[in-house]
Amino acid sequence: METPSKDPSFKTPASRRRWFSWDDIHDTEKSHLREFFDGSSFTRSPKIYRDYRDFIISKFREDPSRRLTFTEVRKSLVGDISVLHKVFAFLERCGLINFCAPGGEDPGEEGNWRVRVEDGAPNGVRVVAAPNPNSLKPVTVPPGGSDNGRGVVGNGFDLPPLASYRDVYSERKGTICGNCKQRCESGHYECTKCFKNGHYGENKSVDDFKFIDCIPNSGNHEAVWTEAETLLLLESVLKHGDNWDLVAENVKTKTKADCISKLIELPFGDLMLGSTHRRGRLWDNDGNMSIVQQVQLPSSETHSQENIKTDDQCHDVEKESNQNGDAETQVPPLKRKRTISPSDTGNALMKQSHITLGQPPPLSPAAALLSPKYCSSHLSSMVGPHITASAAEAAVTALCDECQCPREIFDGDANEGEELGSSPQNNKKEREIEERPTELESQGTSSEKNAIPLTFRIRAATATALGAASARAKLLADQEDREIECLAATIIETQLKKLQCKIKHIDDMELIMEKEYTQLEELKESIIAEQMNALQRVFSTGISRWKDHTSVKPHVDSVL
Amino acid sequence: MKPHAAASTSSNRNTTVKFRIPTSDNLVPIRLDIEIDGQRFRDAFTWNPSDPDSEVVIFAKRTVKDLKLPPAFITQIAQSIQSQLTEFRSLEGQDMYTGEKIVPIKLDLRVNHTLIKDQFLWDLNNFESSPEVFARTFCTDLGVEDPEVGPAIAFAIREQLYEIAIQSVASARETRINKKGRRGAAEQFPARKRREWDVYEPIVDLLSSEEVDALEAREERNART
Repeated sequence: METPSKDPSFKTPASRRRWFSWDDIHDTEKSHLREFFDGSSFTRSPKIYRDYRDFIISKFREDPSRRLTFTEVRKSLVGDISVLHKVFAFLERCGLINFCAPGGEDPGEEGNWRVRVEDGAPNGVRVVAAPNPNSLKPVTVPPGGSDNGRGVVGNGFDLPPLASYRDVYSERKGTICGNCKQRCESGHYECTKCFKNGHYGENKSVDDFKFIDCIPNSGNHEAVWTEAETLLLLESVLKHGDNWDLVAENVKTKTKADCISKLIELPFGDLMLGSTHRRGRLWDNDGNMSIVQQVQLPSSETHSQENIKTDDQCHDVEKESNQNGDAETQVPPLKRKRTISPSDTGNALMKQSHITLGQPPPLSPAAALLSPKYCSSHLSSMVGPHITASAAEAAVTALCDECQCPREIFDGDANEGEELGSSPQNNKKEREIEERPTELESQGTSSEKNAIPLTFRIRAATATALGAASARAKLLADQEDREIECLAATIIETQLKKLQCKIKHIDDMELIMEKEYTQLEELKESIIAEQMNALQRVFSTGISRWKDHTSVKPHVDSVL
Repeated sequence: MKPHAAASTSSNRNTTVKFRIPTSDNLVPIRLDIEIDGQRFRDAFTWNPSDPDSEVVIFAKRTVKDLKLPPAFITQIAQSIQSQLTEFRSLEGQDMYTGEKIVPIKLDLRVNHTLIKDQFLWDLNNFESSPEVFARTFCTDLGVEDPEVGPAIAFAIREQLYEIAIQSVASARETRINKKGRRGAAEQFPARKRREWDVYEPIVDLLSSEEVDALEAREERNART
């Protein structure tokens, strides 16, 4: 057996091993590891315990900087493995081993497990992964970073406020020099080409060029999108649809490619592209969101049906807002709006919903990352301005009920919200958007004010989005119900028709049979009459014996 | 079960206990290997014998549904589990000798791409032992990434303990004879000779896909012959 090293310079936290001595067994040890001291077995005795303990500790001290694993020691010790493990765990807990080793975990704790997310099921079980590209995919733990089980990335991260999932986890694209708009392949002082060429830009000098280390072979793109810019981008996409030149014009600080890539990066970005595609034609016709209000629906039946639908929708939103906040405050504004909606926007909504029903639900919680302003404008295009306004109001009221602070902030914004609801025109929106950056700037000085609006806005936006999403879902569900009813009615109708046809058929047959019957009767009668006739003639010719049938017949034949 | 177990460890080693798996959790290892119409379903897991039998059918149905197997499997799976449970329960009434018994446990299994070979000693009398804890430590210490390995190790240990426990039921009468032999063996403890370290060291191998396929083919051939 190895002799224990008694290196005096060996440092252990004194508090931990104050009781420990090589030559003796302390009471702590006796109490924790009773099986060695109660004589219950030949294989467990104090001497054996000391041998185990000394071996493990000296094994650890061979290299105190590394963490000694149980598996390393158990191969060298004879004995029940569970008991060995118990000794090992005891020594580790007491701090006699593995106290300064990195990543020292208490092996008994469950909470320190490394969270390992698998892509797909283990081999015995196959589960089809959800194909929705916009959903958050499982995040793999960065290698070596989470020994202590910090688990999923994002716990300690400080993401910029508008960071979307793809921003953080997707690959970065090639760097484009801000100056010469060319791709930078090398580690660059912003752009080696520009640097060499001396195109420094207006106010820059050589010193201003920071050296940005570039990961080789990846051609990264590092475009910083502020909140205002993103908002601008989204508004302009809604307005211009596919026309990227106009969009880039609107978002003045970014190029066309930037805009496109940014839009794709946003979680719902490509859905927006899809939706604008379909409505692009509508946009181009009038360039006005209220175009759909002018479309008239053909028949009155569908009109009334859709009015019912609209009412249901309003009702749903009302229900939603009831769940969100106080009932009393919500009902009056909704009622007011409800009277307006059937006449005015009923057609609009239904036309829109006919168009939009074919699309996948475009709202995702990620939309809440933007301001509720944008959210409202987006929603109003999908759901209807009045509904959106009421949903936004409901969400805001719910939040304000929770905390009084943001009420004045929101009240200040509420006026703009009203404007938004009443006249959804692009000009106004753009103006409003331009106001917003200035508003942001004015608020920029007081930092604490900035913090509050952001979180509350996010929450308001979330609530709005969720409220509108659920209203829409209810609408779709109701429509399905009605469709089912309609289909059931059709089936019943068809069955009835079938029955009627059969009845008619049977009636006809009856008629025919009756006719045949009468015919047969007549025929019968005529035959009888003939027979009588014949008999009369026979009698009139004087046949002697009537009983003789055989003689009558030939006479009858001869007479006839 | 636990107070009973505690009593047995500290008391006279000649007491007998009603049959059970000699670990802290009385879980029965169940192995399934069913083939219907060319489809083969293999599985191994632990079952709690105190669960009601209705759970067996529910489990079978859920398994078939999750793995999209043909419904003929449901009855087969349920029957297999039931028969193994019945076997366990039939032994439960008998006595088991709980004297000190250090047995060697050997691991030789392949789980997906990981090959495990190991050997160690296990005390059958230690009713606080837990194969799952051992498996967990094993995987943590050796940095095994595949999460299916741990349960497979625990299952293998449990199976061997089960078999040895069955033997100990049968041999409950013959224990007294072996006591002296055991005492002799105890003197050799505790440190092992160095040359034997390799035998008791665990080996974990990561195989490539081709090796896995080759091994599987060989296993099938062995199973057929």
